[in-house]
Amino acid sequence: MNTVGEPLDRFRELARNPAAPPTGIHWLDQRRDEAAARLDRLSWPSRKDEGWRYTSLEPLRDPQFAPAAQPLSALLPEDIESLLLANGRVPDLVFANGRFAPALSNPRALPDGVWMGSLARALREKPEALKDHLARAGDPVDSLFAALNTALIEDGAALLVAEGTVIEAPIEVLYLSLEVEQPVIAQPRNLIVLQAGAQATLIERYASFGPSLYFNNLVTEVVLGQGAVLVHERLQEESRNAFHLAGLSARLDAHSRYHCVTAALGSAWSRTSLQLRFAGEGAESRLDGLYFAGDGKLVDHHLDVEHAVPGCSSEETFRGILDGRGVAVFDGRVLVAQDAQQTSAHLHNANLMLSRNAEVDTKPQLEIYADDVQCSHGTTVGQLEPEAMFYLRSRGISEPEARKMLCVGFAQEILERFSHAPLRERAERIIRQRLSRPSG
Amino acid sequence: MLSVRELKVAVEGKEILKGLDLEVLPGELHAVMGPNGSGKSTLAHVLAGRDGYEVTSGGVFYQGEDLLPLEPEERAHKGLFLAFQYPVELPGVNNTYFLKAAINAGRVARGEPELDAVAFMKLVREKAKLVQLDETLLKRPVNAGFSGGEKKRNEILQMALLEPRLAILDETDSGLDIDALRVVADGVNALRGPDRAMIVVTHYQRLLEYIEPDYVHVLAGGRIVRSGDKSLALELERKGYGWVLEEEAA
Ligand SMILES: Nc1ncnc2c1ncn2[C@@H]1O[C@H](COP(=O)(O)OP(=O)(O)OP(=O)(O)O)[C@@H](O)[C@H]1O
Ligand SMILES: [Mg+2]
Repeated sequence: MNTVGEPLDRFRELARNPAAPPTGIHWLDQRRDEAAARLDRLSWPSRKDEGWRYTSLEPLRDPQFAPAAQPLSALLPEDIESLLLANGRVPDLVFANGRFAPALSNPRALPDGVWMGSLARALREKPEALKDHLARAGDPVDSLFAALNTALIEDGAALLVAEGTVIEAPIEVLYLSLEVEQPVIAQPRNLIVLQAGAQATLIERYASFGPSLYFNNLVTEVVLGQGAVLVHERLQEESRNAFHLAGLSARLDAHSRYHCVTAALGSAWSRTSLQLRFAGEGAESRLDGLYFAGDGKLVDHHLDVEHAVPGCSSEETFRGILDGRGVAVFDGRVLVAQDAQQTSAHLHNANLMLSRNAEVDTKPQLEIYADDVQCSHGTTVGQLEPEAMFYLRSRGISEPEARKMLCVGFAQEILERFSHAPLRERAERIIRQRLSRPSG
Repeated sequence: MLSVRELKVAVEGKEILKGLDLEVLPGELHAVMGPNGSGKSTLAHVLAGRDGYEVTSGGVFYQGEDLLPLEPEERAHKGLFLAFQYPVELPGVNNTYFLKAAINAGRVARGEPELDAVAFMKLVREKAKLVQLDETLLKRPVNAGFSGGEKKRNEILQMALLEPRLAILDETDSGLDIDALRVVADGVNALRGPDRAMIVVTHYQRLLEYIEPDYVHVLAGGRIVRSGDKSLALELERKGYGWVLEEEAA
């Protein structure tokens, strides 16, 4: 019995699922079929594969994830109140198990030139606007799981902003996942396209209630035209039993700016792959990441940043807190091609170990083929400072509270990069909650 | 208030305090002077409950209770306060948040209601004014990037907020300009009262001009080798420690 192939076979079957019939859009069906074919050719990653060396896929073998059935129409707006940010605002778009849930959403009024809605609707109403961007270049990242996502493209968030259009208020998208009778696989596919000079702020949250078991396998494609500016803030607060695999690829045209702040604080097993491509000179990106690996959890981040053209700058700063038998993987790769002169790239990863049993595998790599560049990379692994603990306790602050204060203090460098205050507050609160849980 | 009896303390196997006696009654202010490395900070740390010190014999009683088994936070709740010789920088920990957590931890431990944000801000502003601490420092991370003098003012601010019964100031006057020295002295004097006591570790007689100690002790070689009134500090300033140590040896 070929046990290694088992989960892959199930995913291949999913990709041919009759419940996901062709969309009738020729180019899309073609891209989906190609992805299904890729899935047939690809093999299940093992620890020998560079990208999976430290990240075990074992936990994904057993659960029998079924495609999410029809929309979770039983959910009422009051059901998701506990998931709202402290400002009480209902998100613009809410997805339940990967499908748009209009009854839970409250899209705000947007300026002319903005199209925001579900990808399913965009595919119905304006497929031509998507053709140049959606799955155009095959699978952006983590090919096996991205291929599975692409093979079943159906729904997700779509934000299309016309040239020169500026959206002032942040747009918020909530991806809610729930186990219904059996573990489900949700596969949101998101497309964010900002034409030249457009500006937007996008807040994305991944959440659940209770200890649901599910697999959120999502792919987001970001395309920034010349001089476009996207602030992209993400908070992963999935259920403690969840699997979360996020592939995000961004293509930056000349003089565009992309600032992504991403926090992975939930789930049992998560992997976030960020792929950045500089396609025009003078573009800037900043990726700020925060992660928390609690007892028995795994949090993985893969960065793949490619400076192919001159004069762009990228800054990647990731900080993680590990507790109990938590495992974190950080694999950050920044490539500066020979032509990419005057590149500035700074890659840094810091880890705070709260337990001797936690494990971090961190590998920041700079590959530089140009000679006129400003680049640096570094990594640190440390513990709480005993002097700092004593200082706080000598002021009457209890040991657990002192620990929390120092951990949140450590996270603060990333937390303060969130421009959306309610999101920052929620992330901070979740870290405090995670730290309150007993761990081994 | 505090009774230290024949205290012997070792750090990493090396004996630092070698039978130290010190008796502090309510209302008193004791100055502790002594050469570098003589064990002054060690004494302060042991009193505040820092890890890593091995008490090999002797004992410490605070308000009639054995102090040594208590955790640092319990000592704080019972009114003990240490102003650090080297205040610790806490990057990312907001100073105001920290001060509020400290005050409320003590209040909760004593069964008092927590101060709400408004009451706390009023109090902290008032005290910050008293110690002439720039209010922008309240919004910054605790001590991070503070100048030496700012760190010391921040210690005095904490003392003023926590209103300890027994305050131990470990060289809070070192590295301060004249104005800052006044602030420290004012902070100390504002807190003095019949049911409070202080131990002030210092190298300089100057601070003592402002705060009038009841006793001056010389700590050398891990023991109090001489005690006297404030004239002892003047004598030390003139003659250095050599003569005390010689007389002690004789
Ligand atoms: N963790 C430690 N490990 C080894 N030795 C230590 C440790 N802590 C203190 N000591 C030693 O104990 C002795 C007393 O140190 P302490 O800091 O108490 O001196 P002090 O009187 O406060 O000096 P100063 O006036 O310079 O502040 C010194 O010789 C110091 O090196
Ligand atoms: Mg000292």
